Amino acid sequence: MKRQTSILHILTKRCFQKNKGRNLAAILAIFLTAMMFAALFTMAQSLEQNITEMYLRQAGTTAHASAKQVTDIQIKKIAEHPDVVNYGSSIVVGIAENQQLAGRQLEIRYADSQYAKYSFAYPSKGKLPEKQNEIALDTLTAERLGIPLELGQPVTLEWKKEPNSPEAVSSHFELCGWWEGNLSSYAGMAWVSEAFALDACAGAPAPSLDEGRILGLRMMGVSFSNHKNIEAKIAKVLSETGMAQVEFSPNLTYTPEMQYSIFMENMPIYSGMVLVFLAGYLIIFNVFQISVALDIQFYGRLKTLGMTKKQLKKLVFGQGNRLSFIGIPIGLIAGWILGAVLVPSLVTVKGMDTTASASPWIFIGSALFSYITVTASCMLPARMAGKVSPIEALRYTDADINLKKKTKKSKNGASLLGMAWANLWRSRKRTIIVICSLTLGFVLMSYFYAENASFDMEKYLLDFAAADYQLDDATNNLSDGYRPESQTISDMLLSDIAALGSVEETGRLYTHQTKMGISEQAQNNLKAFYHEERLKDFAANDPGFPNWKAEFDKVIAGQENEYTVYGADMLVLEAAASSNYILDGAFDQEKFASGNYALAVGPSTSPGSGLPTWAVGEKVEIAGREFEIMAVTSPFQPMVKGSGPVFDLPLVIPADVFLELWPESHLRKFFFNVSDDAMEEVYSLLSEYQKGGSMGMNIVSRQTIAEQYEAQRRSSAVTGYAISITTALVGVLNFVNSMATAIISRKREFAMIQSIGMTKRQLRRMLDLEGLFYAGLTLAASYFLGSVVVGVVVRGMEGGFTTFHFTLMPLVCCTPVLLLLAVLVPFLCFRNLEKQSVVERLRAI
Amino acid sequence: MSILQTTHLTKQYGQAPNLVKALDDVNISVEQGEFVAVIGTSGSGKSTLLNMLGGLDRPSSGSVKVDNFELGKLSDEDLTVFRRQRIGFVFQNYNLVPVLNVYENIIMPIQLDGKKQDEGFIKEITSLLGLENKLYQMPNTLSGGQQQRVSIARALASKPAIVLADEPTGNLDSKTSGEVIELLKMTSKKFHQTVVMITHNPEIAEQADRCIRIEDGRTTEERR
Repeated sequence: MKRQTSILHILTKRCFQKNKGRNLAAILAIFLTAMMFAALFTMAQSLEQNITEMYLRQAGTTAHASAKQVTDIQIKKIAEHPDVVNYGSSIVVGIAENQQLAGRQLEIRYADSQYAKYSFAYPSKGKLPEKQNEIALDTLTAERLGIPLELGQPVTLEWKKEPNSPEAVSSHFELCGWWEGNLSSYAGMAWVSEAFALDACAGAPAPSLDEGRILGLRMMGVSFSNHKNIEAKIAKVLSETGMAQVEFSPNLTYTPEMQYSIFMENMPIYSGMVLVFLAGYLIIFNVFQISVALDIQFYGRLKTLGMTKKQLKKLVFGQGNRLSFIGIPIGLIAGWILGAVLVPSLVTVKGMDTTASASPWIFIGSALFSYITVTASCMLPARMAGKVSPIEALRYTDADINLKKKTKKSKNGASLLGMAWANLWRSRKRTIIVICSLTLGFVLMSYFYAENASFDMEKYLLDFAAADYQLDDATNNLSDGYRPESQTISDMLLSDIAALGSVEETGRLYTHQTKMGISEQAQNNLKAFYHEERLKDFAANDPGFPNWKAEFDKVIAGQENEYTVYGADMLVLEAAASSNYILDGAFDQEKFASGNYALAVGPSTSPGSGLPTWAVGEKVEIAGREFEIMAVTSPFQPMVKGSGPVFDLPLVIPADVFLELWPESHLRKFFFNVSDDAMEEVYSLLSEYQKGGSMGMNIVSRQTIAEQYEAQRRSSAVTGYAISITTALVGVLNFVNSMATAIISRKREFAMIQSIGMTKRQLRRMLDLEGLFYAGLTLAASYFLGSVVVGVVVRGMEGGFTTFHFTLMPLVCCTPVLLLLAVLVPFLCFRNLEKQSVVERLRAI
Repeated sequence: MSILQTTHLTKQYGQAPNLVKALDDVNISVEQGEFVAVIGTSGSGKSTLLNMLGGLDRPSSGSVKVDNFELGKLSDEDLTVFRRQRIGFVFQNYNLVPVLNVYENIIMPIQLDGKKQDEGFIKEITSLLGLENKLYQMPNTLSGGQQQRVSIARALASKPAIVLADEPTGNLDSKTSGEVIELLKMTSKKFHQTVVMITHNPEIAEQADRCIRIEDGRTTEERR
């Protein structure tokens, strides 16, 4: 038995060494397949990692669950529970009030090292505070406070022990450590020593979140062995420690909904893998099929000599394994590099750091997938080798015409054209596979190109940029709400902008939150609009749903609620009330300016009546003044973006009327257009101003929006192009391989035709014609399917920010390339063939 | 007048000391309408001779003249054209084009030459060879003898100066062999067609008008 396997081994090895050229094609095919799998795995893994990281940063902690209000004793008990793998705790001291912070919230706290790590706030330089006067900050905060990043630098914080206590105290510290700040976290942390924290708490009343007393509040984060079923795990810990009253909230990132949404982000990549499998199968199968067909007489002889079916199969699989052993590892490395290069362009969130994952699963997974592809591809060829009959094999030629065809009713087949056409169908299966393989690549390319080309910048800008420049108040996005008293957009700045003389149009936006009830009509509208199914849908897609639903229930029960009232004019009003935003009613600029009318902002939905807000024509009282609802609009992003009530039914009134109602208001947003030549001047003015103490001011320019748009477009294109280009490449490789084999395997036949009078020129013309037929059929199939896919599928996806254009641009570009290849490959093969004389070729068997 | 003539025809392969003289000063001549057999054992040089006569290979020295064409003076491309116009080949393994049906195989050399086939003549030979009912069949559906008949029809179709047959019965059983030789002989007579046939089988060779024996690259005439 041992000897038997070893002879098989030797045969496998020798066969492998014999066919260098053929192996190269196979290795190339396996390499491409493995590379794409690895690239896609890398992208999927990295994307998941990056999105998870982003969600975690937004959540502010990596702990699996956290409690906002616990006692020291409870912390100790929970920490001792066997299920709790790790924990960290923190003591809240207060909130910094320094003017330079410009609206960014900075919490002063003590944290143990695990809690700091959970909070992305473990000093990368220096250490956590130990002495009473030490403090650790993030780099962004340090920058805002104007503190150089050096250990021992003095830090002075103005802070309040309670958010609503009137007077602030001032404390002096020394910088003992810092870490890289991140804008996506909602608040900054300033770590102080435990001694300082305990000192500050001394004598203060017991903290209570409900009553708004935060001084001395203990918080805790815990993590378990894994992030599955966190809620159940917490419940278990709490019940077993007998502390059901403690409230732990699971990290939102690990909720099934979030995990699902992360998975969905990766969906295009997973479907890409299916395509790679398909393309990989098509080529590897073809390479092996050809290889077995060419060697069939050899296999026949082996069978005559006593090799069993099983052993023959093993021989073929052995070749596959050997080729995989070379092709897959190189493919994995190349793929990982490719993936790492592509990852940044996948991420659309601006300013998010991207890292390419190097998880071993990428390599294990893609190696496995590639190997499965190779094995699947070898299956049929191996069966063919196994089934060979020793007698038939001697007669078998690779170019075996299908035996079904016994007669052909034709008299002009002997023309070059006729012969070329007939030759094309000698191995029908292969021709079809090659055509499919190429067509798949071309159609995919057309699809992704057309999809990408349908992105419409104009539509996007219309929705996301109301003006050349938009300024946001520093507190616009704060998690605890916009503060109308904030004056980031100062009168001085406005007059500076005006002084430039290049401002063409402006738009002001004020907001105020006011408590009011809603009419019965509006309540009915709400109830009708948010029917059960819609609520269910909402719940599945939005983690904030429970909070929203609680407010919603209160409102339809008739309770008063806080709603946002916008005061808008000019640019922003025109855009927000433009015809494509009107859902119900009609906007009349002049009537609106009279100050007796208001607009109600509904959800982003299709136009109609019965929208979930006040109805058109209703009277509504805002701060004691009566307005009539003129129209219902869909939300205009540049206007509504920013923090607001969880459940909001916003209203829009003219800016001047707004100022009559709330004269103390400051601008929340300011929009303005400038002449083209002044763009840079304005930008430098704004960024100067931003640096001079208004770090929190957000500047949105049409330019940045356009860039954001480009990023989004690029992200959606990159995976698609990578997949389709590889698929097309695989197709071309397949095509070249098939053409070349078809010619080389007919060496003798050509010699024979030449001997009875076909000239070299005629032979070459015939081969060219074969290639052109191949290319022509492929192109016909590609143009047809491409038109269908682009014309039906891509057209069907129009909407949002896309406008459909019919285009087959990639196909048009590839047409000459394919035609050239169709002529070039026969030419090269023929040159190679010509090295042998007709007599030599006639004799060769 | 002789239609085929070789003078001092020599073909050598390899370099000294491994020099092999496949043909050594061969001087033969064939008359119009003759049916000549070249007989020799394997390795005697008979296939080399056939390749020389058909313009498939070039001599080391000496000349081959067919139908007053000096083959050594023609370029490769001209040789090919010469072949399809003036030489009909019949191979041991038939060498039919698998993707073409019987009729198309027969007319292929004529079509390649850009000429119109003589339908009446094609009909005549196909019926003579018993192929009239098989014109649309593909080669792989025919028996060996039938395939060789197609190959003979193909060789005759262009009315060549000579038909060169290389072991035309090598793959056939004795009964079929007899039939094929009979057909070759018959067509040669009927169309006054010159045929040069190569064989290692003395029985087959006996059917010819004249026999040329070849041994170690040298020819000897056998007259009956």
